[in-house]
Amino acid sequence: MQVIKYDICGQICPSTLLTALKEINNYSQQLMDGEITLVFYTDNRDAVTTIPESAANMGYTVNVTKMEKCYMLEISGGRK
Amino acid sequence: MIPEDEIRRLTSENRELQKKYETAIGYIREKVDQLLGVMGTAPLKSEELDDKTLIGVDPIGIISNSFAQILKHLNRTNEKLKITSEEINAIFKSAGMGILVIDRDMRVLSYNPMLQELFFADKPGILGQPCYKVICNIDGYIEDCPFRKIFETGEQVQQMKWVVNNRYYNVVGTAVRDELGTITRAVLVYMDITERILGEEALRKSEERYRDLFENANDLIQCIDPDGSFLYVNRAWCETLGYSLEEVQDLTIFDIIHPECSECGSEFKNVVYGEKTGHIEIKFITQTGREIIVEGNINNILEGGRFVGTRGIFRNITEKRKTEERLLTAQKIESLGVLAGGIAHDFNNLMNAVIGNIDLALIYSKPGDEIHQMLVRAEKAALLSKDLTSQLLTFSKGGAPVKKVTSIGELISDSAGFAMRGANVRCEFSLPADLWPVNVDKGQIKQAITNLVTNAVQAMPEGGLVSVSAQNVIVEGPKAQLNKEGAYIKITVKDEGAGISKEHISRIFEPYFTTRQTGSGLGLAATYSIIRAHEGFIEVESSVGAGTAFYIYLPACRGEAESENNIEKNRLPEAGRGKVLFMDDEELVRETAGDMLGYMGYDVAFARDGNEAIQIFEKARGSDSPFDVVIMDLTIPGGMGGKEAVLRLLEIDPGVRAIVSSGYSSDPIMANYRQYGFVGVVAKPYKIKDLGEALKKVISPGE
Repeated sequence: MQVIKYDICGQICPSTLLTALKEINNYSQQLMDGEITLVFYTDNRDAVTTIPESAANMGYTVNVTKMEKCYMLEISGGRK
Repeated sequence: MIPEDEIRRLTSENRELQKKYETAIGYIREKVDQLLGVMGTAPLKSEELDDKTLIGVDPIGIISNSFAQILKHLNRTNEKLKITSEEINAIFKSAGMGILVIDRDMRVLSYNPMLQELFFADKPGILGQPCYKVICNIDGYIEDCPFRKIFETGEQVQQMKWVVNNRYYNVVGTAVRDELGTITRAVLVYMDITERILGEEALRKSEERYRDLFENANDLIQCIDPDGSFLYVNRAWCETLGYSLEEVQDLTIFDIIHPECSECGSEFKNVVYGEKTGHIEIKFITQTGREIIVEGNINNILEGGRFVGTRGIFRNITEKRKTEERLLTAQKIESLGVLAGGIAHDFNNLMNAVIGNIDLALIYSKPGDEIHQMLVRAEKAALLSKDLTSQLLTFSKGGAPVKKVTSIGELISDSAGFAMRGANVRCEFSLPADLWPVNVDKGQIKQAITNLVTNAVQAMPEGGLVSVSAQNVIVEGPKAQLNKEGAYIKITVKDEGAGISKEHISRIFEPYFTTRQTGSGLGLAATYSIIRAHEGFIEVESSVGAGTAFYIYLPACRGEAESENNIEKNRLPEAGRGKVLFMDDEELVRETAGDMLGYMGYDVAFARDGNEAIQIFEKARGSDSPFDVVIMDLTIPGGMGGKEAVLRLLEIDPGVRAIVSSGYSSDPIMANYRQYGFVGVVAKPYKIKDLGEALKKVISPGE
């Protein structure tokens, strides 16, 4: 499983959302096939809600983990 | 040089384009914000992305791609939902249980075919009806319906053995919530358990019937597990073995198998291991130590093919075995009796010759001579052997007593002395000299007294005192109501033994009744029978711990008893005259009788059997010298005996005087000779005086 990480700390929503959606769109097939996991690091509180919600509506599985200085959002395939 | 008009034109155009650009950017930002709003996020701030970056990022493109994915995801989800819905529908329709969906007002929203079949097969228009009407057939609202709680608490409700229309159901109700979590409906699942309930009821009744059968059976029923412990015993088992159900729990089969029956123990070990089934006979021991014999059948108990114990059904055959033993004993006794009778008969015949000849020798010898004393001793011994055969005959047939007037005192002391020989008891006699004589069969009375004294000795295994006494009594008043009034000799035999309980005392004279392991149960029965045959009666007084006393009452009689002391004086017979025909198959008997009759002065002719006697008698009758008396032996092996011959003689001469003689002194013919056509009797072995008296009675009856 390939993991791609994005550090979008410092960005504010909706920019963080647009950045995450763009990457999710780019890797949509690999995500669906379960070949890839995208990890976003963000310190924006709004993004912690909007990114997982949007990804879930698109059919992906999202794990949110609070870390020391930011949040880690792990997005992986929903085709189970 | 660009003309100023051109510059003004271009500047104005530039300002127009700038305005249009700003309008376009504004439109793009507005649409982006609109789309971000749909995504659920805040609008873009102008400082977040400048115009150039905004166009470069292409947020509208990003968001529309995301919407495309959302749409795809929704479509996939819808597909799954559709499949799930179809599955649920299939389950709903084909479930073997009734499923009902109701709303908060308890109205029917939907139901499956099974529910319809269960409750309203022939009713139309169920949807929208209240469930209490269509299911429970009740028109009114039910305040305390348990399924109403589903809407109140949201918790699952179960009702077991719910009775509707005489059928049983297990019902489970579950809440269904909407997207806001509100309980809008409930699903009730009805499982028809009527058949199971009825089956359980039938099984329970069947078990009750079988339990009733087992409990009330007279047979002993037990189930034991592989280690020999009792799984089940019935009421008859408890009553017979004397254990309560609680006590049985601490027992094993090996506790009730009789310890002396070692083969029973090993037999049952095979039973416990499942190796022995079928018919079995075994000895058990009750709680009180009593032995019982049971027979029955054993079979294995299997559960799932596995051996878990054995079941036995037994019948108590203790009494049956005792009866069989008694019968066998009786048969043995009868066989012995026949043998004894035969031996006694032959012995009597021989003793007849011995005693007869000794008697004659004593007559011919002088009282003072040494040879006379020897003959006296020989006669005494011969007479004792006659008593022995008499006892043998009483034992063999116990028939009618052949009575003689006797002095009872000697008889009692002789009998009691005999019975106490070798025993560690003391005996006290009280036998007055003036006891009235009795008319008895000495042998039988001896036996009766011996039985009582033997019982008294056996009742005192550690020793003690046996008191034997006799007295003259007159029976009258209440005692005489059961027996004849008159003069009796009362003989008392008393011991200091354990006594007889109230429970047993009424049964002691029953044949085969005994409380001793080794007793035959015949002694007192024989005693009773002998006394009754002598027209006497017997009484008993006893209680536990106070010893036992038996009272024999024998009718007293007139007449002088013949005692040993009189024998010598009365030895000589009276002289006689006449012609005697003597019939006996034994030569010795004929010779001795011939000498006796000759000594007395009679003329004697002899015959060997009935046929010969008849011929000789008939011939003499036809002559002028008929016979005055015929003496005939009863039993002639291989020939006609006296019983048949006398009838033939009576045909020839109805006035024939016939005397019967026999070694079977207890034969009923000997006791009741007149009924058989005889006019006299003389029992073997007899002395010359006995023979002479019998002849005199017959020839000169008046004298």
